[in-house]
Amino acid sequence: MTNFNWLLDGSIVGVYLLVTMIAGLMVRKYVGNVEDFLVAGREMDVYLGIASLAATEFGIVTCMYTAQNGYEKGFAGATPGILMALAMAGVGLTGFVIKPLRDSGVITIPELLEKRFGGRIRWAAGVVIVLGGLLNMGVFLRTGGQFLVLVAGLDVRYLEIMMTALLVGVAFYTILGGMLSVLVTDFLQFVVMSAGLILVTILILMNVGWEKLVTTVETHYGAGGFNPFVNSTMGWEYVVFNLMLNIASVLTWQTIIARVLAAKDTRTGRKIYTRTSFFFVCRFLIPGIWGIAALATLGPVANTLEAMPTYLSTAVPAGLMGILVAAMLAADMSTDSSYMLTWCSVIYNDILAPFRKQPWSQRKGLFWNRTIIALIGIFLLLYGLWYPLKGDLWTYLGVTGTIYLASISVLLIACCYWKRANSWGAAASIVVSAVIPASYLVMEQLPSTAAFAKSIGPYYSGIATYLLSGAAMIIGSVLRPGSRVEGRPAHV
Amino acid sequence: MSKHWFWWALSMACVVWYSTITVYVAIKGAADIKSMLARLGKGRRTGDS
Repeated sequence: MTNFNWLLDGSIVGVYLLVTMIAGLMVRKYVGNVEDFLVAGREMDVYLGIASLAATEFGIVTCMYTAQNGYEKGFAGATPGILMALAMAGVGLTGFVIKPLRDSGVITIPELLEKRFGGRIRWAAGVVIVLGGLLNMGVFLRTGGQFLVLVAGLDVRYLEIMMTALLVGVAFYTILGGMLSVLVTDFLQFVVMSAGLILVTILILMNVGWEKLVTTVETHYGAGGFNPFVNSTMGWEYVVFNLMLNIASVLTWQTIIARVLAAKDTRTGRKIYTRTSFFFVCRFLIPGIWGIAALATLGPVANTLEAMPTYLSTAVPAGLMGILVAAMLAADMSTDSSYMLTWCSVIYNDILAPFRKQPWSQRKGLFWNRTIIALIGIFLLLYGLWYPLKGDLWTYLGVTGTIYLASISVLLIACCYWKRANSWGAAASIVVSAVIPASYLVMEQLPSTAAFAKSIGPYYSGIATYLLSGAAMIIGSVLRPGSRVEGRPAHV
Repeated sequence: MSKHWFWWALSMACVVWYSTITVYVAIKGAADIKSMLARLGKGRRTGDS
């Protein structure tokens, strides 16, 4: 039984979807060339950037895994959010990596890497970025559908239909309007999403109460529910892995970097980073509080990922339920559209680069960008339907993201700041960074190696990937000096 | 509250900061969209002529 009222809440959701679709489609007329399509003609200003970045980096999937973290780890589950906020603020204030990246005027990270390491590394980096990004995004749809089905009380059989409908709607305006549609809809989605998140949190704090939330965490997790270092499922390795992961994400996660590249200048890009940084604490802590409230109300449940939506389905009253569902749809649509466009930009700009010996016309470029987005949508639909998720969602996202985060962050830092870095080091770093997490994922799925994978754990595997990827860059560059494309940092 | 003041303060900061920034970004972001589309529209007209 759920409080979702089809007339009242359904109308709120319907109006929201209609307004978003109209806004997304209206701006398509401003798309005149590939740069308009991929980086909005580099005309984005600070506040639109903040709204877009916040909306993109908060999807239903985010809400689900951060609530799961809160349910399973208590307040300590918000640790990755604090680490990401610190990383974001630090990079924004110093301009570390993002300044040379934006100054270079590239559309994607591999394009910058080519200036230093050559065309082959650009291509390989593009493949690794798309592979890690799509595997990461592959679970978004199913998780989003799970949330909506549980909260709205729909039959589970409708999950696939909901996922498909959601994706088709998002793909429609993204294909037509590219980054411009993404930015305008992100803005609307940020407002709706934020309103829903704030209202539901206030409702929970009033109904459940702070004292009960704290007592619940104390009862179930003791001191570990407040301190990640003494939590039995976290520990120093969890904190170190998440620190590395978040620094790498801030520097190289293409959907985040896309906002810097679409910003009207470098100063604007840095401001977007510093002013959005605290949002990343909210991103983990607010749904974390929802997860703790679910634990306080429902007690232990078999599927911890579903605890929060199950709790909300009865805790949120009609009317507010419509705002909540609209908010979560907003969150999901903004994430899906940005992610599809971002991976498309890398496929078009970098992976297809060798096939563009002669420059393509703008018309042909736009056609291929739109086709790639449609193909990504089909892939997501198929992958989302069959991949069985094992372990907790945040860890899966961390491991798949590490496939590219480790090597690309090493390559980017070396490209901008280390004169001796060369293509041999870059290639070694990419191979090491892809092999370790991919092997871990395969071992986790195979019955014969699942126990071994579990004994290593995702955190040690992740830490090893970052360290060995950095070591591979140094060793490769030192062993084969003189093979770099240029003898100076790429952005100079 | 006093025992776990860090998490209490951080949670309250999230609610207050997020509420404030939402209203502020909603107003300023709308102005950003308007000027971005104006610049793009002007650029297209210049390109056409």
